[in-house]
Amino acid sequence: MNYFFHIIIMINIYIILSLSLNLIVGMGGMLSICHAAFYGIGAYIGTLLMVNLGWTFLPALLVAIIGTAILSLIISIPSLRLKGDYFILGSMGFQSIVFILLYNWTDLTRGPYGISGIPSPSFLDLKISGLPLWFVFSTTVMFICSMFIIFLMKSPFGRTLKSIREDELAAAALGKNIPLFKIKTFALAAGFAAVAGMLFAGYMRYIDPTSFTMMESVFILSMIIIGGAGNIRGPVIGAIVLVVLPELLRFLGMPDAIAANMRQIIYGLAMIILIRCRPQGLLGDYKFT
Amino acid sequence: MLLLELISVTKIFGGIRAVDNLSVTFEKGQVTAIIGPNGAGKTTAFNIIGGMLQPDTGKVLYNNQSLSGLNMWNIAALGIGRLFQDVRLFKKMTVLENLMTAFQNQRGETVWRSMFIPFAENKVEKERKENSMQLLEKVGLQDEAETPAEKLSFGQQKLAAIARILATDVKLLLLDEPMAGVNPAMFKQLLNIVQKLTDEGRTVIFVEHNLDVVRNLAQRIVFMETGKITAVGTPQEVLNNPQVRAAYIGRGK
Repeated sequence: MNYFFHIIIMINIYIILSLSLNLIVGMGGMLSICHAAFYGIGAYIGTLLMVNLGWTFLPALLVAIIGTAILSLIISIPSLRLKGDYFILGSMGFQSIVFILLYNWTDLTRGPYGISGIPSPSFLDLKISGLPLWFVFSTTVMFICSMFIIFLMKSPFGRTLKSIREDELAAAALGKNIPLFKIKTFALAAGFAAVAGMLFAGYMRYIDPTSFTMMESVFILSMIIIGGAGNIRGPVIGAIVLVVLPELLRFLGMPDAIAANMRQIIYGLAMIILIRCRPQGLLGDYKFT
Repeated sequence: MLLLELISVTKIFGGIRAVDNLSVTFEKGQVTAIIGPNGAGKTTAFNIIGGMLQPDTGKVLYNNQSLSGLNMWNIAALGIGRLFQDVRLFKKMTVLENLMTAFQNQRGETVWRSMFIPFAENKVEKERKENSMQLLEKVGLQDEAETPAEKLSFGQQKLAAIARILATDVKLLLLDEPMAGVNPAMFKQLLNIVQKLTDEGRTVIFVEHNLDVVRNLAQRIVFMETGKITAVGTPQEVLNNPQVRAAYIGRGK
């Protein structure tokens, strides 16, 4: 039962990550490989506030969301000029820089040693600790985030974002301020990623930079590629499939050491096959060209 | 009343003067055709007016306001609309969604309203939907409202694109070869609609190679070659101009 709870908690965290990245990739049509950077920044901002300054969860969460959204400007504003492949490179650069900072700015982040002793979130008298409570808490947060993201996607904002994805020039000729929309989308996605980061930090009670690498960004992106982009089902299915898959491998009796590599091989194969035969992913709306 | 004025506009691409010291005016409510051989600078002129390109020298005045340095979306907000040669509908979105996107000043596009008060937009969205359906009826596409734009025929796509521009409350229409590539069955329908565009006080400037269309629609013709205007006047004057005939129309027209 505990195992089941743990899987669901991780799925919840990754649903928030994949749905928010979908705003950039699926709705906005911008391929970004720096989502783990936002995930990590959110986790670290909140953690430092809670561990070093004794803040409680909710205020730390708020500052983490706003801080990460503001820091997203560092990548979104320069990237406005970059098209296609160069944009991806720009996001890679940002991801690398963030990781390097988290890893080497040891005075602030304790680098590879990580930060432990992260307090469990507590609201009034209720402390969220133990798997059953985390199951309920993470599912609730996931639903709240999903609700906001769905509102965004179905609103005129979402519609205009899709139009920018479809034809940026035509959208601009219709009066849409392209850079502003892109910046807002990045900030929103970053804010949601920060929520996921805070969930992760509160659940694991320990964070270190190795959870927020480029591989993690690619992992989140592959949820969208495999599950599908542009709609809601796609990223959700992608998150579920990619979290559950390695666990299934465990049941096949494969030792952990081999399972880790097998997982990478399977992801790689799955992405190649899907991009070749079904570019919109399992359940997606939008094909990458 | 003077609506649009180009004053000594020049645009150079790597040594080629695409538009060369171009000066021309357009009155409100007028229908002007820009004709000329390929490479004359017609599309470049459109790009400069629409804000896709900035002129190297000279300026563009719209309602006496300089468009210098303004972005495409600012210029669109002033009421200048562009129909592209390759149409450029939002392919994966339905025809209705294409039109709904086009309405200006949508408060629902802000993050606050989208995320936190999503239901506030419902009433306005309903109005937009009704207005969109009315526009679609005008162009005869009301049955295709829920069809993804990419599934329409080329001629239908052009009609949809016109309806979309009308949704932006456009005052000056820049039509880039509106009749090009349209099959004969759609031709009359499209022609009718382009004719009606001016009925409501809008100003139209269109680029066309089809001289029948030009004769049918234009009150005034501007003839361009190699970036310059070499003839301006009524269709009678320009189409009978010997220089124009020699450079463009050829014998026997």
